[in-house]
Amino acid sequence: MDEKPLGKKPKAAGAKRIALLGILFALAMVLSIVEGFIPVPVPVPGVRLGLANIVVMFALLQLGRRDALGLTLLKAGFVAVTRGAMAGALSLAGGSLAFCVMALVLALAKDKTSYLLLSVSGAVFHNIGQILMASLILRTFLWPYFPVLLLSGIATGFATSVLLKLTAPALQRLHLK
Amino acid sequence: MKFARKRDILIIAAVAVAGLLLWAVLRGAFAQPGVYAEIYYQSKLVETVALETGAEESFSIEELPKVVFHRYADGSIAFLESDCPDKVCIHAGRLRQVGQMAACLPNEVYMKIVGAIADPDAPDLVIG
Repeated sequence: MDEKPLGKKPKAAGAKRIALLGILFALAMVLSIVEGFIPVPVPVPGVRLGLANIVVMFALLQLGRRDALGLTLLKAGFVAVTRGAMAGALSLAGGSLAFCVMALVLALAKDKTSYLLLSVSGAVFHNIGQILMASLILRTFLWPYFPVLLLSGIATGFATSVLLKLTAPALQRLHLK
Repeated sequence: MKFARKRDILIIAAVAVAGLLLWAVLRGAFAQPGVYAEIYYQSKLVETVALETGAEESFSIEELPKVVFHRYADGSIAFLESDCPDKVCIHAGRLRQVGQMAACLPNEVYMKIVGAIADPDAPDLVIG
């Protein structure tokens, strides 16, 4: 399969970029709702499949940091509106930390990164960000959750990396750039 | 971009092993049945519940009448009902071992299992 290298700095034209961002945000919202239907067998606050993270990763690779961060913040806003301020705060903390770490991994590793590393680091730090926010809200460090969060982050990160790997070529064939 | 690199798999495997070790250490260090469950509301200890009583009981704390706790005859305790949207607290299941925690974020309440009472003068000590 002829796959264009991800991670290059593309300059999408104004209207096209806005349309693409709109589609991605819509996709993030839908995925955020859909993953609510999928039970995760880990009874820890904030452990989710992180399907919407695929969208943020795609934006990070295809559009750049600014748009990926924008999507992260919009997604937190959407969660706050639909599931309450508490869930919004968790999404904001998890999403921002995941974004920072993924951007850092991408900047450090440049072309030598992989879907798996990017996705797993995003998922693990998404969980860590959420548990730190939860600890802040309850004013107690929820350390018993930590090992579970590491392991579940690796598992969900693996799942999203497979999904991203499968969808990325299809999205690129749309010639969005 | 590749799906995975050898180096990445090694990094992830190392983190997974660290997570498993941490989990084993935490479990091992606290693998004794708890004596009390402490219930915290808005980060204040509001109730201390004796676990080894042999009696079943459902109860709530004054501040949160819609959150129902249940102590089982075998000395475990769980969130039974809650008015929060995601029910993470209920899914946490029965707690029994020292160090285990269950939290309900929307209600700002959590409970943890302890081996001895941190503060004997805590309010509402429920025994029996």
